[in-house]
Amino acid sequence: MEPRQRLLFLRRLGAFRAAVWGLVLALVAIYAWLQIIRHAEFQEIAREQAVKVRAIPAPRGLILDRNGYRLVDNRRALHLVIQREDLPTKPAVVAELAAALQMDPAALARKIQVYRAAGKGLPLVLKENMDEADIAMAERIRARFPFLSMEVAPRRVYLGGELAGHVLGYVGEVGEAQLKAHPDRYHLGEIIGKDGYEASGNDRLEGVDGKKRILVDQMGREVASFGQVDPIPGHTVYLTLDAGLQKVLEDSFQGQSGAGVVLDLRDGGVLAMYSSPSYDPNLFLDRLSQAVVDRYLRNPERPMLNRAIQGIYAPGSTFKPLIAIAALEKGVITPQTVIYCAGHKNFYGRNFRCDKPTGHGPLDLVQAIAQSCDVYFYTVASMLDIDDIYAAAKKYGLTVPTGIDLPHEKTSRIPSRAWKAKADPKDPRWYAGETISVGIGQGAVGLTPIALARFYAMLATKGKLLTPHLFLGLRDDKTGALELAPPPPVRDTGLDPRIWSVLDQGLYEVVHSGTAASVAMKDVTMVGKTGTAQVAAFVDKAHYEREAKNLKDNALFAGYAPREHPQIAFAVVVENAGFGADSAAPIAKKLVHYWCVDRLQHPLPPPQGPAADPFGSPAEAPADGSPGGTP
Amino acid sequence: MKERFRALDPRLLGVMLALIALGTLTLYSAGRHTPQAGIWLKQSVWNLLGLSLMLVLASVDPRRVFRFSFPAYLLGLVALAAVLVAGHRIGGARRWFVIAGQTFQPSELMKWVTLLYVSYRLGTRSPEAVGRLEVLGLAGLVAFPMLLVLKQPDLGMALSFLPILLLIPLVKGFDWRWALLLVVGVSAAGMFGWKHVLKPYQKQRVMIFLDPSSDLQGKGYQVNQSRIAIGAGGLFGKGFTSGSQAQLNFLPVKTTDFAFSVYAEEHGFLGVILALGLFGLLLSRVLDAAARARTSAEAYFCVGAAAIFAMHLMVNVGMVAGALPNKGMVLPFFSAGGSSALSFFLALGLVMGVLQRSRVP
Repeated sequence: MEPRQRLLFLRRLGAFRAAVWGLVLALVAIYAWLQIIRHAEFQEIAREQAVKVRAIPAPRGLILDRNGYRLVDNRRALHLVIQREDLPTKPAVVAELAAALQMDPAALARKIQVYRAAGKGLPLVLKENMDEADIAMAERIRARFPFLSMEVAPRRVYLGGELAGHVLGYVGEVGEAQLKAHPDRYHLGEIIGKDGYEASGNDRLEGVDGKKRILVDQMGREVASFGQVDPIPGHTVYLTLDAGLQKVLEDSFQGQSGAGVVLDLRDGGVLAMYSSPSYDPNLFLDRLSQAVVDRYLRNPERPMLNRAIQGIYAPGSTFKPLIAIAALEKGVITPQTVIYCAGHKNFYGRNFRCDKPTGHGPLDLVQAIAQSCDVYFYTVASMLDIDDIYAAAKKYGLTVPTGIDLPHEKTSRIPSRAWKAKADPKDPRWYAGETISVGIGQGAVGLTPIALARFYAMLATKGKLLTPHLFLGLRDDKTGALELAPPPPVRDTGLDPRIWSVLDQGLYEVVHSGTAASVAMKDVTMVGKTGTAQVAAFVDKAHYEREAKNLKDNALFAGYAPREHPQIAFAVVVENAGFGADSAAPIAKKLVHYWCVDRLQHPLPPPQGPAADPFGSPAEAPADGSPGGTP
Repeated sequence: MKERFRALDPRLLGVMLALIALGTLTLYSAGRHTPQAGIWLKQSVWNLLGLSLMLVLASVDPRRVFRFSFPAYLLGLVALAAVLVAGHRIGGARRWFVIAGQTFQPSELMKWVTLLYVSYRLGTRSPEAVGRLEVLGLAGLVAFPMLLVLKQPDLGMALSFLPILLLIPLVKGFDWRWALLLVVGVSAAGMFGWKHVLKPYQKQRVMIFLDPSSDLQGKGYQVNQSRIAIGAGGLFGKGFTSGSQAQLNFLPVKTTDFAFSVYAEEHGFLGVILALGLFGLLLSRVLDAAARARTSAEAYFCVGAAAIFAMHLMVNVGMVAGALPNKGMVLPFFSAGGSSALSFFLALGLVMGVLQRSRVP
């Protein structure tokens, strides 16, 4: 190169060198802008996409019977979920996902909408309790839907199946209405009790969810977790139920509809409660699968109804002791009053017939109860005003709900003048003739089985009005011991002991020599009253009318045992079964015999110890549907 | 052997070794807990091989190297043509030969061969003797392999041929008329290219560059995550192997195109200043070589080498920060890759040869 050209070249080279350093400085400036000026902003984005907060669902408390047999357990289940921040937005993706999961696209889209709108809550559960095929399916579709994840959560197992379906109830996702009403109490996706004791005991059973922060990678997979707040499991609850007695009660119905209740006379605890047909709570656990629920809801037999606390039955002759009390307390009769039964009697121009067409002849009160003579009680009722009967019913606790710790208890229907005015505004007057039917537990009167059982418990305890309840106590999770809860209040009705002894005698004669003599036992003295009542129309009205011809009377039996030192009181209703002594009384006999004899002679093996794992034991539910721990 | 080592320029070598160290650490961190965990080791083998070749080339008189530039250029064209026909296809592009299980990208080496030949052509005549026709001819020498590379298709690689054209104003001076012609020509070519040459994916990249937020989950995702990584690094960085963006795989292709994002996240702005400063020193030393070269051809080669390095630096470091389109151009010493590493080392070997024989040591 010539010197002149070389000089030119060096000058141009100098310019290039400056440009190179200019480039370096420009890049430094860009990085200064990103790393110094906008650092906080990017730091936050990086943190948000890598650190997620996940709830750790707390297991619900187990439910045990009074002896510690597990009625409700938990299992680990794998759910297919979408974390809240991953909810898909594109309608096409949602539709495709619904197709892949065989779900209703509209329902899924709505669900996603609700979850996106909610400020806080749990992940959206798409498929619960996945089996191996489901897991394989989920793994397959996750390639297409990377926002899907799987989560382990405790899941309820009702070990007895239908054994105590109505009593235990079931759990489910908190409803939208409830969520709206108590936004601070519930959060979206929370599992709460929906019916039965699961609902009424929800505050005891529900634990407190824990949470953890996790580090996720780009695929949303958990890489590490920190800052874990452990979940607090719910309390393990002992119920007053006796699984063995409950099983006897369940088995006694053999396909017939009806209900039975057995109360513990020491404190009013419910030893057994069964409503037939029953349902299996396990079938109600799957969210977004409404089909099973619908099948139950549409069944005309109404299996969802807990007949023991919601069925209102005409009590028939089981109501007669109350009429006797009303009359004795008012003084219109004495125990020695004798009334002649000719098989029928005329009141207010209408002929009222007795069960025995040939007539019972002359009877005193004890004989009238033992023979269940209708004419006797027609006559007594004719001496009373309906409001006298109402007053007695009120005094002995029949006009209010029993207060059992189950949701949706119905109040028994005891007619009065005020009631008639309200119930039938077109014809508000009470006619004296209507009182005659009430005298034998027919007509407007209707009792729930639990109320009837409580009334007979009152008779058994010489006037103590117990509060039926299921909650026995909590398990101390450290020692595993039962901490008994104080029983709910008992009210003394002030029943005259003389009146009591007459009724006790009458009810004894029923089983000894009267209408239910066929169920008398050699080893236990049971007392009680049969009842046969026309079917009350609490079931679906159209169904009732359609079937009316085929329907026989409801059979009832209520009483207590053993007579000498009463331990239990009971009420049994068998729908459309005819005469009370033939179908309801034998069930009562089985219950009493089991409680007073079999249970003591052949005790059940001790229950399994408390599960160490708060999720419950890994063992499978017994296939025979018996309660957990029983052989 | 001692002679050979004396051929190495200590300043250039020092800067290079520092950059190699930073790059290797970055690849180690980027590959951790991924199927590419061993990539830093593999790249180190390439680097050692490259350093050895550099040592050999640095001890050879550059004039002897230039003598082979024409046959090498022809051979390169043949290789580029061959790779179009018989090359190994990855992701729809034919860019690679497979030799003994290793992929080799002939275009990497070809841009240096093209520079070598163009420098040789320019250097063997006086600047006055280079007429307009000659200039067009030189542009054609660059354009021909560029078009073959574009055909693979590999837009990023084709663009990295462009810095060679910088030699023309360097030799002939900056001429407004030429500049205007270039702008018009490039615009026309660009419009033609947009309509007829660019593949849809390339158009998409340009569109996404113009508005990165338009496609946060798709192509824009990569650059967006890269910006987050860089920004989250802050002044001091998250620390070696502690960048959440890199370690949790939010960063895409982090061992190649986005390796510098990993570095920027983990070592922060101070680390970035260090790396960019080292690159500045590297380029500066290459330009020193240009200033001291004995022959014009050697000087031109060094300037062209600096321009190509600067292009890679600008496009890659600018791209990962979202300042330039996502074009897939590697960053020397940081991005994993055998062919590119060998090519960079060979080029620097030649530069070292120039420095060794320069009049001012």
